[in-house]
Amino acid sequence: MTTDNSAPVSGSIMVVGGGISGLTTALEAAEVGYEVFLVEKEASLGGRVSQLKHYFPKLCPPTCGLEINYRRIKDNKNINVFTMTEVQNVAGTPGDYTVTVKTAPRYVNENCTACGECAKVCDTEISNEFNFGMDRRKAAYLPHNMAFPMRYVMDPSMSTDDRDKVKAACKYDAIDFDMEEKTMDLKVGAIVWNTGWKPYDATRIDNLGFGRYQNVVTNMMLERLASLNGPTQGKIVRPSDDKAPETIAFAQCAGSRDENHLPYCSYICCMASLKHATYLREQYPDAKIYIYYIDLRTPGLKYERFYAKLKEDKNIFFVKGKVAEVSEEDGTGNINLVAEDTISGDKIRQTVDLLVLATGMQPTAAVDKPAADLTFDADGFIVNDFSKGGMFAAGCANKPADVVTSNQNATGMALKAIQTLVRR
Amino acid sequence: MTDTYLAQPDLGFIAQIRGLGGDTLKKCYQCATCSVACPIAPENSPFPRKEMIAASWGLKDRLIKNGDIWLCHNCGDCTDLCPRGAAPGDVLAAVRAAAITEYAQPKALAKAVNDPKKLPWLLGIPAIWFAILAYITMAQSDVMTKIFNVFGIAWSHAHEGVIAQANFFSTWFVDLTFVPLATAVVIIFLLSLRRFITDIHENAVMEGKTDKKNIDYKSLVQALVKTVPTILKHEKFNECETNKERATPHMMVLFSFIGLFIVTGIFFFVLYVFQTPGPYSQLNPVKWLGNIAGVALVIGSGLMIKSRLDNKDQVSTYKDWYILGIVFALGVTGMLTQMARLAHLEWTSYILYYLHLIAIFNLFAFLPFSKMAHLVYRTTAMAYAEYSNRK
Repeated sequence: MTTDNSAPVSGSIMVVGGGISGLTTALEAAEVGYEVFLVEKEASLGGRVSQLKHYFPKLCPPTCGLEINYRRIKDNKNINVFTMTEVQNVAGTPGDYTVTVKTAPRYVNENCTACGECAKVCDTEISNEFNFGMDRRKAAYLPHNMAFPMRYVMDPSMSTDDRDKVKAACKYDAIDFDMEEKTMDLKVGAIVWNTGWKPYDATRIDNLGFGRYQNVVTNMMLERLASLNGPTQGKIVRPSDDKAPETIAFAQCAGSRDENHLPYCSYICCMASLKHATYLREQYPDAKIYIYYIDLRTPGLKYERFYAKLKEDKNIFFVKGKVAEVSEEDGTGNINLVAEDTISGDKIRQTVDLLVLATGMQPTAAVDKPAADLTFDADGFIVNDFSKGGMFAAGCANKPADVVTSNQNATGMALKAIQTLVRR
Repeated sequence: MTDTYLAQPDLGFIAQIRGLGGDTLKKCYQCATCSVACPIAPENSPFPRKEMIAASWGLKDRLIKNGDIWLCHNCGDCTDLCPRGAAPGDVLAAVRAAAITEYAQPKALAKAVNDPKKLPWLLGIPAIWFAILAYITMAQSDVMTKIFNVFGIAWSHAHEGVIAQANFFSTWFVDLTFVPLATAVVIIFLLSLRRFITDIHENAVMEGKTDKKNIDYKSLVQALVKTVPTILKHEKFNECETNKERATPHMMVLFSFIGLFIVTGIFFFVLYVFQTPGPYSQLNPVKWLGNIAGVALVIGSGLMIKSRLDNKDQVSTYKDWYILGIVFALGVTGMLTQMARLAHLEWTSYILYYLHLIAIFNLFAFLPFSKMAHLVYRTTAMAYAEYSNRK
């Protein structure tokens, strides 16, 4: 992917968010020949996708996709990646924006080889948010084993003792606690917001017991439990006692399609739960899996086939009725759930080892509103105003979507950004 | 549900339910959260999810003849958790109003009671009636005395020299109005109930909600006796979460009606058997009961009105305001009549008593047609649920 034959261009593009759709927008624009500033607030690119065990429906790991994209970035001199960086302010008009960005100190420079000696000597531990707090990590940590840039981070909470120790342990002189927060202005002609999504806060779904009962987990937590680089090295066990679950229930639409929470369909949760059933089946050939749903939404031929294949599994049960009440069995940590099977018309009271809430996606922009003149819908998704132009949203910042749709959308918005520059 | 079942949607019925406060019914997408949220729904065929789809499809028979709509106490737990704002609680309340109209005879009267445009008539007819009776009592007392003497009965129950309502309205007239009225109401209810019980049983058999094949009326009455303490203690009502505070005012109103019924019965007996006309002493224990019940009625119904005004989540329609207004007016005019009499405000007392009679007339005469009919239908449905082992 060289840029030798690219057309002469002027102006730069900023891409906010380095998840799968941000990577796509950035690369598509850069490979046409435009200068791109890719801004990511986390310490690594990769976004939500890097937290997954598998993509659906092909069931390949996220390295497939991320790796090739990282390779493309490394090969492309047009892309400038800023991690640990957030947009502070956007001023100007389409074709002529001044974006103020703020970079938090990583305390680790380019010399880092990710050898890990610093983590070995560091005693300070912090909650591991990459695993949704299910385990702890050292305050000297690599974001994850697919990190880009492949460089450690020193958490500001690290003790003074540990700071001395990690500095001493580093053979490459890569650790520098004198680094400071940096603010700078970047001139760009167009901005694409790929700020993505957050799992909806399941503690707010009062009747489903998340946060009160240990063995109620979210779908994204299950992703981490199933992942080899997760808190259990890929073994799906229940949080309370590390027991292998024999009966697992999924509560679909947990906080989605619900005007008390997220009023819209989050699009991915049905396929995600079906995919999770394959994780469980791989590890537990006899486990009984119950999927409680309102409607199973598996749009398109490929997703329909995926669903049809799972229906052949005699130990996966699909129950039409939403889980609406959850409690914990005394002493065992098992979860009691109540639903109405709307086909038979009977109330179902079931006790399971593990309950997975298929929580939906909330746009990050709904929680951390970008400091820019954007139009948002009632749920916090960014509305694309093509008549105004200049700034666009792609991926899950724009609508709930799967990876495929996000990438299509991200490619389209790269073109929109380019058009803004060309028409100037 | 049998495979050959063919839905016969009744669009008019859907419109009727929407008009009665169930305008949200089409928002339901059948997730069944409501059936789980409901603290009193049975395990087998719980409500209100199946009622919501029946309402959406306009299946009138499945709703009107369904005893389950009466087991619902409209506590609002389902509405609270409903992800779509479909408000099953309000829809069921609307279905009950439609069911009352359906079972009540004559239909024209039932429709009038639920039509705000007919309210002037509902108030005007008793107003004219009682005005005529007041005129006769006050102006034609000689004529009446002569007529009554023919039968050898004393006309006047009035006391000389004190303010007594009997000086304004003859007690004879009051009782000659309300005794036949009460009899008519009982007959209307009996006729309605015969159809109602047959229908809810048929529906329960069809939906597999009972193990009984036929109705054994003796067992049904025994079940009724077993249900009475549940009702008096508001056990079902108290299982609600969202609107728990509604149970107490409702209980106050129910018990004050029971109290006032006892007081009226005793004084009726005292008047016609012992020939002792009122007003009775405030020291009389029966009077105490009457006063306590009257105050409880005013406070209870006042709280109910306040809760409906405050609760924006719950739909309140004409049917709710009509009955609450009547009950509240009944209590207030009753208490004020007595207070005015004790304060020696003769005409104030009489006018208040006149208004009181109009309120009583509305409550009694329209009992089988107004929301108040729930007293009979819910009790019956609860007794039937007990009888039919609905669990």
